[in-house]
Amino acid sequence: MSAAPLIVLDHVCKQYGTNPVLRDCSLSVAAGEIVVVCGPSGSGKSTLIKCINGLEPYQSGSIRFEGQEVGARGTDLPRLRARIGMVFQSFELYPHMTAVQNVMLAQVHVLKRSRAEARERSLELLTRVGLRERAEAYPANLSGGQQQRVAIARALALDPVAMLFDEPTSALDPEMINEVLDVMVGLAQDGMTMVVVTHEMGFARRVASRVVFMDEGRIVEDRPSEQFFRAPETERARIFLSKIIAH
Amino acid sequence: MPEVIQQNLPFLLAGLAMTARLAAIGIVGGTLLGLVLAIVRHARIPLLNPLAVAYIEIVRGTPLLVVLFICFFALPSFFGYRTNAVDAAALGFVLFIAAYLAEDFRSGLRSVRPGLTQAGLATGLTPVQVFFLIVLPQAVRRAIPPVFSQYVRLFKFTSVASVIGVRELTGSALLVNAREFQPVAIIATVALTYLVICSAMSLVGRWLYARLAIRS
Repeated sequence: MSAAPLIVLDHVCKQYGTNPVLRDCSLSVAAGEIVVVCGPSGSGKSTLIKCINGLEPYQSGSIRFEGQEVGARGTDLPRLRARIGMVFQSFELYPHMTAVQNVMLAQVHVLKRSRAEARERSLELLTRVGLRERAEAYPANLSGGQQQRVAIARALALDPVAMLFDEPTSALDPEMINEVLDVMVGLAQDGMTMVVVTHEMGFARRVASRVVFMDEGRIVEDRPSEQFFRAPETERARIFLSKIIAH
Repeated sequence: MPEVIQQNLPFLLAGLAMTARLAAIGIVGGTLLGLVLAIVRHARIPLLNPLAVAYIEIVRGTPLLVVLFICFFALPSFFGYRTNAVDAAALGFVLFIAAYLAEDFRSGLRSVRPGLTQAGLATGLTPVQVFFLIVLPQAVRRAIPPVFSQYVRLFKFTSVASVIGVRELTGSALLVNAREFQPVAIIATVALTYLVICSAMSLVGRWLYARLAIRS
């Protein structure tokens, strides 16, 4: 593990108007680590990871990615974002483009790869997520699980050093969850640094190095996953865990 | 075909050509100006945004005939340039239809999910790239039905240019009628011509929309 962590959040606070959404959140993620963020809805999980790539601004504290302050005025956000892949709850594939065009777009316009090179790389990635034969399909003709796998390929196309997942399986029918989780487990095994907001505790147990539990905008627990699952420290996390594992 | 039409066919066809020319200029110019206005409104570009709002409201609250009078009489007099009825009418149609098209494009822009913008930004595209590569192409596709109905309206509106002396289809037909006095045959032929062309335009719009539709 490298000396300097890849992602460091230091006393980050954010509010919408007078409504606090993140309260004094500190977290650090080293290269190769897989951090699962869980907690009840409205606890600030999605906001937290959207702050990491600057999709959401924060009012105080500091977030550094590869040593660079995300919220600083001089930060080249597009360049920083190109190094962090992101996968969204509702896929957000560009509906007017085919699967392969979705994966190509940023390669051509951000990395300035040639179309031929971008296409080749895209087909490679679609093969990796098991969708080579659906390359020319439009998102509307793909199932939710297939769309999310294309979205993962799209994020990987920029050769990111870290990946953020914002509830990647929450919008999926149960039978499609595993095909997406399998791709994510594969990424984890390849050593990708990942921050994953999810309620899939099976996934967390299997691959997470750490579990972060959030409640009401605070990071309540941040512990190695085997410890977290053996016995959460806080009552709040215990109740949460028993509720989502019970069914 | 009625004899009176046959005898005056070249004259009437020249009128139809003028109608087509005015409509084409109006469609191309109005679409470009309408897109610019819609982008200014959508992006809330400082200084320009209130101007665009004022422009759209004023034009939409002014009768087309008055817009043509402004372009034929008022603007040349105010800015001190010479014009003719055809150029003035063409300018008037561009200015007039752009205000309506701007609103149609703007509602197209507003219909694009914000999540797609976030997804684009997350891959390192700049906000301008996200707008032109992701948001605008979808907005334009969604706007095809209302935009084509504006195009059809404009095609019929070109007849108003006859009032400032342009010999487009309606103006030419009125001249033929003044000489021949066969209003039923002449006006029916003209009306039918508008109907056929407008229906064809609607069909093109529907075909284009089906071809480019975003199923979601």
